[in-house]
Amino acid sequence: MYWLKWAGLPVMVIDGAGRLAKGPALLMILGAAFAVSVVSVSSGAYPLSTADILAVWMGDLDDEVASMVLFDVRLPRLVLGFLVGAVLAVSGAILQGLFRNPLADPGLIGVSAGASLAAIAVIVLGGTWLGGWLDLAGVWALPIAAFFGGSGTVLLAWRIARRAGQTSVATLLLAGIAINAIAGAGTGLLTFYSSDEELRSLTFWTMGSLGHASWDDVAMAAPWLLLSLCAAPFLARPLDAFLLGEQVVGHLGYNTDWTKRAAILIAGLGVGAAVAVSGLIGFVGLVVPHLVRQTLGAGHRIVLPASALAGGTLLVGADCLARVVVAPAELPIGLMMALIGGPFFLLLLLRTRIA
Amino acid sequence: MRMRVVVAVCAACFFGLTLAEAAEPRIVSADGSITETVYALGAAGSLAGVDTTSNYPPEVRSLPRVGYLRALPFEGVLALRPDVLLTTVEAAPDKTLERLKRSGVEVIQLPVARSPEDTMARIREIGRVLGKDAQAEAMVADMQQRVERIGAVAGNSPVRVLFLMAAGNHGVMIAGRDTAADALLQALGASNAMDEVSGYKPANREALLASWPDAIVIAESRPGQFDIAEWPQLAALDAWKKGRHYVGDSMLLLGFGPRLPQAMEEVAGVLAKVGRVARNGH
Amino acid sequence: MLLHVDGLGVHLSGKPIVRDLGFQLDAGEMLVILGPNGAGKSTLLKGLAGEHKMGAGQVMFVGRALSNWSNRDLARHRAVMPQRVEVNFPLTVEEIVRMGRPPEPLSKSMPVLSELMELLDITHLRHRLAPGLSGGEQQRVQLARVLAQVWSTAGPVLLLLDECTSALDPAHQQQVFSLLRRLAKQRGFGVLAVAHDLNLAARFADRLMLLHQGQSYISGQPSAVLTEAVLAAVYGLSARVLELDEGYPLVIPQDDARVSAYAEPSLSRFAPLNPSCRQAS
Repeated sequence: MYWLKWAGLPVMVIDGAGRLAKGPALLMILGAAFAVSVVSVSSGAYPLSTADILAVWMGDLDDEVASMVLFDVRLPRLVLGFLVGAVLAVSGAILQGLFRNPLADPGLIGVSAGASLAAIAVIVLGGTWLGGWLDLAGVWALPIAAFFGGSGTVLLAWRIARRAGQTSVATLLLAGIAINAIAGAGTGLLTFYSSDEELRSLTFWTMGSLGHASWDDVAMAAPWLLLSLCAAPFLARPLDAFLLGEQVVGHLGYNTDWTKRAAILIAGLGVGAAVAVSGLIGFVGLVVPHLVRQTLGAGHRIVLPASALAGGTLLVGADCLARVVVAPAELPIGLMMALIGGPFFLLLLLRTRIA
Repeated sequence: MRMRVVVAVCAACFFGLTLAEAAEPRIVSADGSITETVYALGAAGSLAGVDTTSNYPPEVRSLPRVGYLRALPFEGVLALRPDVLLTTVEAAPDKTLERLKRSGVEVIQLPVARSPEDTMARIREIGRVLGKDAQAEAMVADMQQRVERIGAVAGNSPVRVLFLMAAGNHGVMIAGRDTAADALLQALGASNAMDEVSGYKPANREALLASWPDAIVIAESRPGQFDIAEWPQLAALDAWKKGRHYVGDSMLLLGFGPRLPQAMEEVAGVLAKVGRVARNGH
Repeated sequence: MLLHVDGLGVHLSGKPIVRDLGFQLDAGEMLVILGPNGAGKSTLLKGLAGEHKMGAGQVMFVGRALSNWSNRDLARHRAVMPQRVEVNFPLTVEEIVRMGRPPEPLSKSMPVLSELMELLDITHLRHRLAPGLSGGEQQRVQLARVLAQVWSTAGPVLLLLDECTSALDPAHQQQVFSLLRRLAKQRGFGVLAVAHDLNLAARFADRLMLLHQGQSYISGQPSAVLTEAVLAAVYGLSARVLELDEGYPLVIPQDDARVSAYAEPSLSRFAPLNPSCRQAS
């Protein structure tokens, strides 16, 4: 496997000075997060100068439209984008640690597809077969379904890929392909039967979007996203042990089964909630933890917080681009991430192979 | 001296233009046939932007585009500083529309037209919004006349028509019930050969043969998109062999806009051939 | 009594791998388990490490049934070195060794880490990434991690080591085994190690246990276990055993009668079929 050759790469900042660099690196990402947030708040199709924004922010300018653009459109979008990016990156890092495989992206192993299939099922079948579920769960019907779709898929991939205590990397990726195909077929089938009205909601799920984020969305998703983010650090040490092998987790005194369940729950919850409000956004969970490990090392006490910050930053940055490049229209953020992430990932693969 | 005159003339033109524009409301039109109507009523100057479904007339392509009418971006629309967002009930998401209203944009959602009567009502409504009532009235009167003439020609024996949508390279969709295509056939007094299907569904080559229609209408989104060579089953149908088919632009056929009479005339021409055949046969 | 095993049975997918096994290990004692491939050595160790469910029998650790220990307490008193640890992620040597330590500030870990890396001769690798190390280096890193886990433990300590020197060169093998023996004698660690190298085991172990088909064939002092008759019966190995003046036996494998019967005459004549027991892996 290619990552065995990692040591062939220049050892970046991990030796001697590397330890010193962790704090400053986190600060640097934090600075980037702040910078990109400022850019995000000040960019968009609607022309608002920095002076306007500051004035509106301080309450000096009484412009209803400007304040709506700022407070009801750009801010919730920024908050949601950051949370979703952070959760996707952290979930990716958790799954990669759990599977001991740097390729275990929520998208690649089908978690996102499972979550979005569940969400789409609720949209299309909500009026008929799943009517009872809709009555029961109300406004939560969609996110809860996405959550179960997500965590169910992680469990499924996990079950399929594991044999005699070992997780087979090849089986995992193949299972991911199969799961993605099945979920894709399910989505296609539902699309086939959906009405025009329903179809318009579906595009949103398959392409991913932050464009319509409102405080309601934030209120709905933030508790789950934050729960997932706050719970993740508790897994840092057992996940470190996972990097050495599943049996080592028990040897070091952690409850292996508990750790696995917690990890699957946290990742499923996070990805499910993220998919529920923003649709399918790929590559964040793959690219961000990979970069963080390359530059700061693979210990989860640094990987998890750094991935959260960097993931949020990346997604907010991509969202800025998405709304500027084709203004006044917008590119779906999922598309944008695939455009950025796909080539980037190929580059990583090539670089590691050459090195 | 001459320079000064030129500048003055330019300035006059410029101010004249802006004044003229200021008199009309700034409009973002998010629907292909509404955009067509705005052009047909001679109010193109008031258009600040359109959506991606607006492709006719060709001049429309030079206007800023705000995306798909079912995924309208709030800031994108607002950035064009429109007075009015003129669209249909199909526009989405609701959140964007509601926010636009709160920002002082008048959001007008017209019903979806599925009959000549709806179409004419919608044109009158658009005329009212644009302050072009007289033009709209004239257009409607002309339309009324032409539609009536077609009704007289179409006769009363219902003709079974296979209506297809060419989409993409090899894809052809069957238009079933509850579609604009079905509505057009109804307006012409014809029946849909595929009325057991609802909505647009991918075409099954055998089902095409089995439908054995009296006539075939094919809507394509780009000229030349449909190639009969790829569809031997269609070519084998009697209706095709006898020339009882029409291939036309989907916006023309299905837009239910100002070009509706033209669309009805084109299709009616094909249907009339069926009538002749039927009469000849008797 | 550190470890008391009685009537232990371990099954793997229905098949009994270890049967009716009983032995004891005292604090400060080093017991090396020998046996041919497939004799059940690793399975026994995994059973004791809690990786495999024990099918029958009883295992008492410091007077308490192993199943009654909590994970955390057990981790303080028992450290396990698996046969293979593969690291796919860019972790440095120091980071891996530190994983053995309980949550504590780096300043507290550092003296222990430095001492262990010195003892296992990996100080020069401390900032290297584990995936790029050689097999022997990786093994020493893992052993350092295992020792780090119980280094500060006051009270009984049990080390379960599965072929912890299989990839090491002779000098490092010797270094590691004498370290283990020192830990047993000076700090009272109980060491239960699986090994293949008969002479290494004979030199450093207090006692040997020879596993054969999941059962203890013989156990006791090295000179009692490593006899020509036993080696022939268990391994099918023809060897000469010398009792050295130092008080432990030396096994010298002979030209294998069975191999030379099948091998081409020319080959057996020129190639010295004299596989050393010290062969690394």
